[in-house]
Amino acid sequence: MGQLRKVWIGLTGRFAWRFRAAHLLRAFSRTEQGSALDMFAACEATPRRELRRKYFRHALDEWRHAGVFKARARAVGGRSATETGVDEAGVIVEHGIIGGRTLFERLGERDFLAFVYVAEADAVEQFEVYAARGLPDPDTQAALSVILKDELFHVTYSKHELERLTGAPPTTGTAAVVGAEARAAVRRIRWSRLKEGWLRLSLDIGHLMTSLWLTLLYALLIPPFRLLARLEPAGWQAPSADPRPLRLRLQSEA
Amino acid sequence: MARVILGVSALYHDAAAALLIDGKVVAAAQEERFTRLKHDPSLPVRAAGWCLHHAGLRAEDVDQLVFYEKPLRKFERILTTSVAAFPRSALSFPRQMKSWLGDKLWTRNRLVEAFGLPSAKIGFSEHHLSHAASAFYSSPFERAAVLVADGVGEWATTSIWRGGPEGLTPLAEVRWPHSLGLVYSALTAFLGFAVNEGEYKVMGMAAWGQPRYLEQLHQIAKLTPGGGFTLDLDVFSHHWHPTRASTDKLAALLGPPRAPGSPIALLEPGADAGARAEGQRHADIAASTQRWLEDALLHVVRHAHALSGEDALCLAGGVALNAVANHRLAAEGPFAHLFVQPAAGDAGGALGAAQWAAHAVFGQPRPAGPFRCDLGPEIDVGHARQLADDLGFPHDEVSGEDQLAAGVAADLLAGRAVGFVQGRAELGPRALGHRSILADPRGAGTAERVNRQIKLREPFRPFAPSARAADMGLFALPPAAADLAPYMVIASPAADQLRSEAPAVVHVDGTARPQAVDPGREPLYHGVLDAMHAATGLGVALNTSFNLKGEPLVGSATDALATLARSALDAVWIGPLRIGRPSARALGE
Repeated sequence: MGQLRKVWIGLTGRFAWRFRAAHLLRAFSRTEQGSALDMFAACEATPRRELRRKYFRHALDEWRHAGVFKARARAVGGRSATETGVDEAGVIVEHGIIGGRTLFERLGERDFLAFVYVAEADAVEQFEVYAARGLPDPDTQAALSVILKDELFHVTYSKHELERLTGAPPTTGTAAVVGAEARAAVRRIRWSRLKEGWLRLSLDIGHLMTSLWLTLLYALLIPPFRLLARLEPAGWQAPSADPRPLRLRLQSEA
Repeated sequence: MARVILGVSALYHDAAAALLIDGKVVAAAQEERFTRLKHDPSLPVRAAGWCLHHAGLRAEDVDQLVFYEKPLRKFERILTTSVAAFPRSALSFPRQMKSWLGDKLWTRNRLVEAFGLPSAKIGFSEHHLSHAASAFYSSPFERAAVLVADGVGEWATTSIWRGGPEGLTPLAEVRWPHSLGLVYSALTAFLGFAVNEGEYKVMGMAAWGQPRYLEQLHQIAKLTPGGGFTLDLDVFSHHWHPTRASTDKLAALLGPPRAPGSPIALLEPGADAGARAEGQRHADIAASTQRWLEDALLHVVRHAHALSGEDALCLAGGVALNAVANHRLAAEGPFAHLFVQPAAGDAGGALGAAQWAAHAVFGQPRPAGPFRCDLGPEIDVGHARQLADDLGFPHDEVSGEDQLAAGVAADLLAGRAVGFVQGRAELGPRALGHRSILADPRGAGTAERVNRQIKLREPFRPFAPSARAADMGLFALPPAAADLAPYMVIASPAADQLRSEAPAVVHVDGTARPQAVDPGREPLYHGVLDAMHAATGLGVALNTSFNLKGEPLVGSATDALATLARSALDAVWIGPLRIGRPSARALGE
């Protein structure tokens, strides 16, 4: 499974770094920014004082990484100026708090630590594959090498704290997690990330299919109505009178 | 039984919730302060939850939830525009329809699900009506004309209303795609800044340039007789392109657009002559854009005056946050009194939707007294102390407001920049001494230091002063702007004394955007300024929002400490607690 994943990272990475490097770096930046929010929220909410400082430091690291990735994305290029100016304002990726609850609140301390451990270990693996295959440009690779050191720290501290929290003898380094409860938490998180990945893929396919259908509908159905539709003229117009009583107007969506 | 109304704005940008009990605003907050996503558009579950918690209520206690606009009418506009712009709308149609058919069209259901209220308790205002209500019902006026100007609501982009005891009556409107706000946004994007975020930067940059492109802008966005305006729809593309607000014809008129993130050579030491010339061209475009907007607003406001016959004007919508334009409206416009509700953007829509329902629909009386925008959550000092302990931030504490004011003033006078977190958070983008960064404005290098090292933002951006109400003679505020003084929503020429003694809060064009601090409304903050006055003869502080570039104002103690740790800020005052910078060791560096 591990080797297969590395092959997959290498294959997709080769394509992404060659053709969509700026897009990939912007995605990394958003992910790191989201992680920083998650970690700050955990710092605010955790009842465990000994963990607070680690979450805080972790958040500061992620925030710094987001800036590095953003700067690299700009350096390697992107879309036209006017396009990017508008688009970036519209793209607010939802992370951190979903459905009114932070990741920490949704998972609880134990599974949150397992989540951090799994996510950071995956990132380490990803960056190591990129480095081994020489995929990023030299400047980006240099930045990734520095970030990798931080990520290794995140892997080791989250593993250590997860083991401590679940009553297993805490270990150091990046060796596998020990303790039945900790391992179960890691398995649960891996499974849920797999499920989320599958859902994301389904959603992407759904979006693509919907776009195709809507484009087809646009081409077939809209043209006849084009003759009837007009943009509003410029200048002041009298507001359309609404004879409904205010309470009825309030209830209506139209 | 008290009537409880919850106003909600969401699903575009700046989601917020506002809670009214018997017509009185008891709480209001923006979702971004909780989620930390600037301009967060998602349904304000956290903000609404906090509002209810603050009032000791639960969701089932809400009598009426009012969403700030009519989704079906907005959908009608989007569909009609897509059809009318065929085939150029080919890219935007699938994107818009996916968003609407999969999500926004079902706003009622989403509100029911998110807030746990029966459908019968869900109501809908209109976008510009919500804006108009937020301005008029927060104003001190019994009667007034109201001008709303923003990007677009359902159909209206600019609208004129008459407000009075009978409610709000629409008088006239300009409809999509002709929009003052979207001209400014298109130029904001052209200058490489993000729309809905970078408009302030254009306004700040404008002072560094000359309006050399004004004539070109008046050609593509013409002011027409009768107080109207018309856009050249071959130049602007917001009505058919999903991501671009202008076509290449704009570049043909103004030269190439600025790439986002590229250096702005205006104040960069060591920039070569070519880069400086390019930076100057960008500043000239910004100056032209700003001047065009002022001309257009003045033109529209004169029409509003003729149409309404009122002598007071309330302004709302995102365009109303243009403090430089507000000065021209107050100084040269026909109205004797002007009011701008400081949360004039979409966050204020939540407030206005609830106010309209309370006062116009349910006939509840308007509360007396001036509008306060410190309607959000407080930060618990005990929790902040605990966090500072756990994270290794040094801290100490003072007792009593006098000591607190003296302590903050001592920091400022020693050249330190401090975070100032006191009481409830402000609604809207203006930090008015509750979630502020303060500094002594007397040093010439203070502005650059705060921009570069603390706010981590562009060096050309100006800072605003807070001054004791008694010292407002330091600013040449037009008489019509007397009601705006507490809210930092108008820029005015600074007096010579301020220019020479507090250069950090005077922009390059000699203007400042002041906040008058009244001892009755803001006793603690006034005490800080008093202490500074006693020591220096000048009761003025540099006041900027407590956040870093691209982030919302701080919402929690962790946010405050994170901002302290990531910037060159010297200390943070949370209530009486003074938290200093942590050592590198404490941060694990």
